[in-house]
Amino acid sequence: MANNQEVDALNFEDDDLMDEDGGVDVEPSSSPRAPQPKLKSAITSAAPKKTKGRGFREEADAERHSRLADRNFESLGSDGGPGPQRSIEGWIILATGVHEEAQEDDLQNAFGEFGEIRNLHLNLDRRTGFVKGYALIEYENYEEAQNAITAMNGTELLTHTINVDWAFSNGPSTGPFKRKNMRSGRTHRSRSPRRRY
Amino acid sequence: MAGEEEGEFYLRYYVGHKGKFGHEFLEFEFRPDGKLRYANNSNYKNDTMIRKEVFLTPAVLRECRRIISESEIMKEDDNNWPEPDRVGRQELEIVMGNEHISFTTSKIGSLVDVQSSNDPEGLRIFYYLVQDLKCFVFSLISLHFKIKPI
Repeated sequence: MANNQEVDALNFEDDDLMDEDGGVDVEPSSSPRAPQPKLKSAITSAAPKKTKGRGFREEADAERHSRLADRNFESLGSDGGPGPQRSIEGWIILATGVHEEAQEDDLQNAFGEFGEIRNLHLNLDRRTGFVKGYALIEYENYEEAQNAITAMNGTELLTHTINVDWAFSNGPSTGPFKRKNMRSGRTHRSRSPRRRY
Repeated sequence: MAGEEEGEFYLRYYVGHKGKFGHEFLEFEFRPDGKLRYANNSNYKNDTMIRKEVFLTPAVLRECRRIISESEIMKEDDNNWPEPDRVGRQELEIVMGNEHISFTTSKIGSLVDVQSSNDPEGLRIFYYLVQDLKCFVFSLISLHFKIKPI
């Protein structure tokens, strides 16, 4: 660190004198990306954490920290503002608290009211084979999705209260957007599925 | 369930190996700000790397936390799990509340591998959680981008 600063200062002072070939020296230290951001930096906080696992004891390979730190991740454009984001072919909503024995038909019947369901993912728990507890539903239009959220959020489906909300957002889930979407008290949470064997 | 609503949250899962077709891997992470990143690199036939990212709503993050909490993976330890080998490695890193796990193990082909390990109960939890998480992420990515993630 101290070395870098010294080099910086030197380069700065000698800038005029080193016009011709000095540029090469200046490059690395002045690059804003010099200290490669590590994944870990995104999750540091003041509170000490209980750590567990071989991942902490292994010699961390540099690669691991650079794979996802890359900037070249493709996304659908967004205005960065709060609110839901459109997916490539429509608007996706998430229903949670879905009964483990729910069938696709149950969701079709309940959510088909608001518009044609373009896609429905009702994923299964890999261990039990029952519904995992959530469903992802795609509508073509914003209004259909918004109406489904407004009408279905907090209602009962097969005796379970379901929560319905947008799946994708335009920006970070912090600040006022987060507060707006946080429910103060959850009404009812389904019990964990029983062990089947 | 504890840890579901509040506090920090981060998750990263990696599975991959280095072989005839280079470094082939699948990796995704849920970041504290809600960003989901997904990378899939296979050099087989077409050598394009798929890299996608999208912001998730708090509702989706809550569901992810629920899946993790209910699996009780945070109570496990990778001490007696098979170590990563030439066939491949898996990494699961989760920060939830004041706990931070970073587990590594080999690829798990089937439940037979789980049963024959030194910690079948713990490894089974890992095995099913990873499948449930992949399933969740694949649905999110494929619905949003209309790609087949695998």
